[in-house]
Amino acid sequence: MKRLLKILQFLTPPPNWRVPVIILAGMFVGISVYAFIVSNAVSYMSDDPATCVNCHVMGTQYATWFHSSHREHATCNDCHVPQDNIFKQYYFKAQDGIRHATIFTLDTTPEHIVMHEAGQRVVQANCQRCHDHTNQFVTSGHVSFDHVQKGEGRLCWDCHRDVPHGTVRSTGSVPNARVPVPQSPMPQWLQNITKQ
Amino acid sequence: MKTIGNRIQEKPWLGWVLFFSTMIIVFLLGMLTYTIIENRTAGQFAFVSTNTLDPLDPRAEAWGRYFPRQFNTYDQMADTTFRSKYLGSQRRDLLADNPKLVILFAGFAFSRDYNLSRGHYYSVKDVQQSLRIGSPMEKGDGVMPATCWTCKSPDVVRLMDEHGVDEFYKKKLSDFGDEVVNPINCASCHNAEDMSLTLPLPTLAETFKRMGKDISTATHQEMRSLTCAQCHVEYYFGKDNYLIFPWDEGMTAEDMGRYFDKIGFADWIHPLSKAPMIKAQHPDYEVFTTGIHYQRGVSCSDCHMPYKTQGGMKFTDHQIQSPLNNIAAACQTCHRQSEAELIRNVYDRQDMVYEVRTRLEDILVKLHLEAEFAWKLGATEDQMREALHLIRHAQWHWDYVAATHGGSFHAPLELTRTLGSGIDMAHEARHKIARVLVQLGHTGPVPYPDVSTKRLAQEYIGIDLDKWKADKAVFMEKVVPEWLRVAEERHRNWDELKRDPANAGDYIRRR
Repeated sequence: MKRLLKILQFLTPPPNWRVPVIILAGMFVGISVYAFIVSNAVSYMSDDPATCVNCHVMGTQYATWFHSSHREHATCNDCHVPQDNIFKQYYFKAQDGIRHATIFTLDTTPEHIVMHEAGQRVVQANCQRCHDHTNQFVTSGHVSFDHVQKGEGRLCWDCHRDVPHGTVRSTGSVPNARVPVPQSPMPQWLQNITKQ
Repeated sequence: MKTIGNRIQEKPWLGWVLFFSTMIIVFLLGMLTYTIIENRTAGQFAFVSTNTLDPLDPRAEAWGRYFPRQFNTYDQMADTTFRSKYLGSQRRDLLADNPKLVILFAGFAFSRDYNLSRGHYYSVKDVQQSLRIGSPMEKGDGVMPATCWTCKSPDVVRLMDEHGVDEFYKKKLSDFGDEVVNPINCASCHNAEDMSLTLPLPTLAETFKRMGKDISTATHQEMRSLTCAQCHVEYYFGKDNYLIFPWDEGMTAEDMGRYFDKIGFADWIHPLSKAPMIKAQHPDYEVFTTGIHYQRGVSCSDCHMPYKTQGGMKFTDHQIQSPLNNIAAACQTCHRQSEAELIRNVYDRQDMVYEVRTRLEDILVKLHLEAEFAWKLGATEDQMREALHLIRHAQWHWDYVAATHGGSFHAPLELTRTLGSGIDMAHEARHKIARVLVQLGHTGPVPYPDVSTKRLAQEYIGIDLDKWKADKAVFMEKVVPEWLRVAEERHRNWDELKRDPANAGDYIRRR
């Protein structure tokens, strides 16, 4: 408590600065809250695949997954984030999320999206997590990402190339797909007014 | 420790540095928020089809501009080369193939002309060219009501919108010859706004309502069959030629037969046997629902319009056809057997049902001729009544099987059962007629006429086919081109209106 007071005291501006500081601080908090809401920030805590199409550039991945047999059994996170412990899971999610958000914000999304190395490691482990029973007598079913890097085997999708996203994936390859992108950020009452 | 306040009081420039850096942070935060909103707005347009279609537009080409993959596969229905063991997409003269049909349908238009239809792409052309509709040279001519058009074209949806459903049915087929020109296509099943499946024709919803069911709660998978069930069902024309599906008592041959008895309905009186007959249309959906594929949750589209991929797109193959012409996509998606084995499995079922069907068919032909002979010997209505009732239902059971498309594969058990009870009734009827003949003093065999070919059979029942064909040739040369010319002008007018952005999504009602 004493410490908190001390910090507050430390931050308190001199009397002649107080009004502008309050206004600026208000703007800061206000815009932050707004950014939190329009970016659907809370949804990133969940495993709902709809979260991944908050950025519409992932629509292709969503649509191809939606039309695959994996839809019935695995969400995006089941394959694309580590599932061995919850801390690692959220740490990876945060790390990857910030990377994605940066790329998307700076509008540098590649036309053809491919997994980076960390992502490949995670997916390979997750393929094996679910399919280990069917693969128990299949040697190539136990190849880890490290093995592959040393040239001692292939990744699952080096052969199963179209699982589950199909072989052709570019941001424009699924026109008219039904993808649950977020609704317009404009509130309904404002939409009604602007509709005339 | 000095607070920031103290430091600023000592060095006022520090205050200004803090002020401006906070301002820059707030500005950048604003920029970030702006990009989020911008990207979200961009997302609104990323997967939205921006078509300006009028939901009533009946032209496949107009829709196809926005959906090239679906349209290209739809267009492939123009190919009619496929032929399976029993059916296929070729036009074939079923009366020549099986002259017994001439006797069974005597007195009804089907004894004149009965071709294998060639698929949705030809739905309007097949009607125009059929001898069954005659050759109506003027509007209002002919006996066929406009109701006959109902399932043939999405132009009908437009006309029902314009005239009202009741008024549409009250008109003649020839009244709308220049209006109904586009074959069954996109608008027959799809919502123009988001391409979801919909039921533009009213009858199925009306029927569900009568049965106490709400069709609007149907799932997407159910809709993948129900869109087909708008037309691929048994139906009859009620008062003022209003289109009705006779499902109130149920969907089996017995259920619908009971319904027709209750309302005292007959399509025609058979001129040979004088039995009040019921013509089965094509109870495809009804029969399919009794089969194993339906019971396992498979829809019509799953086999007749299997999925297909092209590039990154997975879409429904709109070349609606016999799955026998596309075993790999239609059957082998679920079944691991070889193509040859799967085809054999289908043909086995078809062979067996066809075998039983042919037995009933043979008895029915004899029945009509024997009843005719009994009338000639002076039988009375009282003597014949029971036998005629049995003939009516035996042939109805036969037709329920014969008229349904693919039924012997969809539900071989149900169809064999239906044929079984048909054979029972037919034998019962022969027995009764034999007794009548004995009462009339005839104990020898009945002298059957030679009706072994289409020509002989048609001559026997008094059809002058050459005259019908000659009239048709004139009709095809004079009337149909005029219908098409009027329609083309209307289509041009729509395109003109469509060019004005103010008419986007609404240019049909403005003509």
